[in-house]
Amino acid sequence: MSDQDRVEKPALGIMERGYRGAVEKQFFDAFYLAAELHRHPGGLDLLLRGQAATHAVRARPTPSLRLGDTELDTVTDSRVNLRNLIEAGVRVWVEESALAAFGFAAPLDDVLMDGIRVAADGELALRWPEYRAVYFL
Amino acid sequence: MARRIPPTDVLITLMGSPNEDDRTTTALRLAQALLERGASVQIWTCGNATLLTQRGLTDDKPRNLASWNSAYPTTAALAQRMLKAFPDQLYWYGCRFCSDDRGAVDHLPEVVMRPPAGYAANVAAATRNLMVGVI
Repeated sequence: MSDQDRVEKPALGIMERGYRGAVEKQFFDAFYLAAELHRHPGGLDLLLRGQAATHAVRARPTPSLRLGDTELDTVTDSRVNLRNLIEAGVRVWVEESALAAFGFAAPLDDVLMDGIRVAADGELALRWPEYRAVYFL
Repeated sequence: MARRIPPTDVLITLMGSPNEDDRTTTALRLAQALLERGASVQIWTCGNATLLTQRGLTDDKPRNLASWNSAYPTTAALAQRMLKAFPDQLYWYGCRFCSDDRGAVDHLPEVVMRPPAGYAANVAAATRNLMVGVI
């Protein structure tokens, strides 16, 4: 394998935790880092598991938050951030058992956001050797 | 002479770290809801939560490369706006030990830094106490 082959492999991002500071982070969150990593040679695949699996589930937009006299409409909306990643070309998987733990089971077409792929347990772990790097986000 | 702590209906002790989970958001939402209903509230921050009100945060977060012209207020700005909107209902205290221990030595002027041993007086000044997270 040449060096050129090696740098063009994608990296795998694994996101297990969600909801890490809507007011503090607003936009500067794990999805923001993922967008940056996707700009690296080879781009990024992303696996959502654990609590983060719920980011892939369709939901209403995050409501604004009133603090003092301020209507804060820039709190984190994970689905908007995830949609931006997909539109940028990031391939996103969500682990089936993680969805099941939150009560989401097949058929999932009406449950998941468009463009999300479902992965069986361990499916992506078996593919780690195919990736240039694995990032726990 | 010991500082007199104004009595409040509720004390929210925020010990959970920012940027770890949504406890900070929950605590601020709860405080806002109580204040809008006319209750008086004191917020006491410990641990990493003392970082929320540093003046070094300025009013706005650094620019978002994906939305260059959007403004995102910092937690310090939001705390200041809450204190301004509810001047006779909301008080904000910080644990001086936790703050000094993290090098956070320049807080909003509205934030009263208190010694850990002073926490008991704040608890005594509140009708109800709610602790959110742990250090």
